[in-house]
Amino acid sequence: MAGNDLVLTGVTKRFGGLVAVDDLSFSVKEGQIYGIIGPNGAGKTTAFNCITGIYRSEEGSVKWRGEEIRGLTPYQIVDRGIVRTFQTIRLFSEMSVAENIMSGRHIKSSQSWWHGIFPTPGSRRDEKENWLRVQEQLEFFDLQDYATTPTGSLSYGMQRRVEMARAMAVEPTLLILDEPAAGLNDKETCELLQTIYKIRDKGVTVLLIEHDMDMVMEMTDYLSVINFGRKIAEGTPAEVQANPAVIEAYLGSEDDDE
Amino acid sequence: MKNLNVFGYPLFIVFMAALPLGLDARWQEVAISFLVFSVVALSQDIVLGKCGIFNMGQALFFGMGAYCTAILNNEYGWSLLSTIPVAILIPALFGILLAGPIMHLRGDYLLVTTIGFNIVFVQAVQNNLGGVTGGPNGIFGLDSLSLFGHEFTDQVAVYYFAFAVMLLTLWIMRNLEHSKAGRALHYLRLDPLAAESIGINTRLYKIFAFGLGAGIAGLAGTVFVAQFTAVSPEGFGFMQSVLFFSIVIVGGSSVPGIFLGVFVMFVLPEVFSPLATWRYFIFGFAMIAAMILRPRGIWPAKFGNIPKFLIKESNHGG
Ligand SMILES: Nc1ncnc2c1ncn2[C@@H]1O[C@H](COP(=O)(O)OP(=O)(O)OP(=O)(O)O)[C@@H](O)[C@H]1O
Ligand SMILES: [Mg+2]
Repeated sequence: MAGNDLVLTGVTKRFGGLVAVDDLSFSVKEGQIYGIIGPNGAGKTTAFNCITGIYRSEEGSVKWRGEEIRGLTPYQIVDRGIVRTFQTIRLFSEMSVAENIMSGRHIKSSQSWWHGIFPTPGSRRDEKENWLRVQEQLEFFDLQDYATTPTGSLSYGMQRRVEMARAMAVEPTLLILDEPAAGLNDKETCELLQTIYKIRDKGVTVLLIEHDMDMVMEMTDYLSVINFGRKIAEGTPAEVQANPAVIEAYLGSEDDDE
Repeated sequence: MKNLNVFGYPLFIVFMAALPLGLDARWQEVAISFLVFSVVALSQDIVLGKCGIFNMGQALFFGMGAYCTAILNNEYGWSLLSTIPVAILIPALFGILLAGPIMHLRGDYLLVTTIGFNIVFVQAVQNNLGGVTGGPNGIFGLDSLSLFGHEFTDQVAVYYFAFAVMLLTLWIMRNLEHSKAGRALHYLRLDPLAAESIGINTRLYKIFAFGLGAGIAGLAGTVFVAQFTAVSPEGFGFMQSVLFFSIVIVGGSSVPGIFLGVFVMFVLPEVFSPLATWRYFIFGFAMIAAMILRPRGIWPAKFGNIPKFLIKESNHGG
């Protein structure tokens, strides 16, 4: 029986007077595809930032496999196997696709800082091996033809794929995706679904934010609904869909948009 | 890019290796200065160009290396070459110590801080720190280059020493580009948050770049002493730092761009020697024109350091 891998308890993050994440608790189990949904400005991204160390929550705890990771820096959290993508894609846009993916190999590479000055046969071998891993990701994400293309000149959908490839190059245990389908067309969304299944089949736990309700309902094993920083519902997609609070939050938020 | 690696660099190196044969004493001197300043500019490129640290104090480390060599030679009689490890390590350690507390600063604040460091350094040596720096006149009458007791009074020897140091620097720059550490510098310059979020300890690598740049600049300081057998504070002032900073920006943070920048700054004024006093004037205009016409530098750095087996026929762009 898989245990709880990621456990948030009472996480609270404030920006001045605004409580962006309010006493949020949820737990993600190993092997799950876990969804977070909620209206615009609900605090989803902020919650992810609290998990990945970009923000430090004022209260609460974030436990990863029993270890408290709240207060660790982002790179320390990556070192523990948690890697994320960004809602607003953050690639090294002047660099090629292959170099972007290679950045994901940073923590897996056995080179020390001084190998940058004096290479050794061992560091050269390590360099080669990591480029081979990059090649695997290029193939997995069907990007072989774009290895040398600067990512800044790629389409939105392709950039999202590169960002996922970069994250997967880290060989994460938990992959966190912030609105991976945003800006994708139907065909690309379909491919993304298949890719996420394939990633899960590799044994990677996936935690994702998604706006596209149909997609969340189809894909996730379990999900939490957040509104105004608070969790208003959780359960399997079928349970959540039947929850009156969720229906209200979504209808309500649509009214607000007018 | 490929042509540059296959033909450009070997040609340049062969040319530079043969150069002193065709030059008289005065031009040999200019050529040595070209090499020394190129090495410092390349060291500044590691810090500013690759890592994006707005360091306006690189002359400090150049000077520190020069003073290490001069003091050890003058006070303790070490031969110039034997001071090399110290002239690299002391500036590198200082670079690391200075970088530690300031690396989190934003670009403009960091720039002002490094200017401050440079001014403090010049003041310290001018005021004859510890009674060994010789005050405003500096230290002079130092030994010439010597190896195993054999003294080289010919300046061609200094040229080849400078040449060897430049080759070493180029070799290190190339190694960096093919290493985890070197790539980390590019990643953290382009997007520090993305770099952290992919597992890079950005602070550590910034300090690494600063220390490495300082060490290389320090080594250039030893060559400087070998050339003039003297040091004085004015060679390492804030204005020098501004020049190294500008050369990297105007050149475009690429090796050819930096050589070009050093050439324009230090060699062209000698070619038009009546104009020599106008050199800041010329360079100033060159800087303005270059930045307006080519905001990313005369010869911008290119990415694409990826192994051949990843490059497919059908590649798009790149
Ligand atoms: N760095 C910040 N400083 C101040 N306020 C912030 C900051 N980041 C987020 N907020 C605020 O916190 C609230 C939650 O924002 P967040 O980005 O987490 O929402 P979200 O659920 O991801 O929304 P979306 O669906 O639009 O991405 C918003 O009101 C936002 O304005
Ligand atoms: Mg968001």
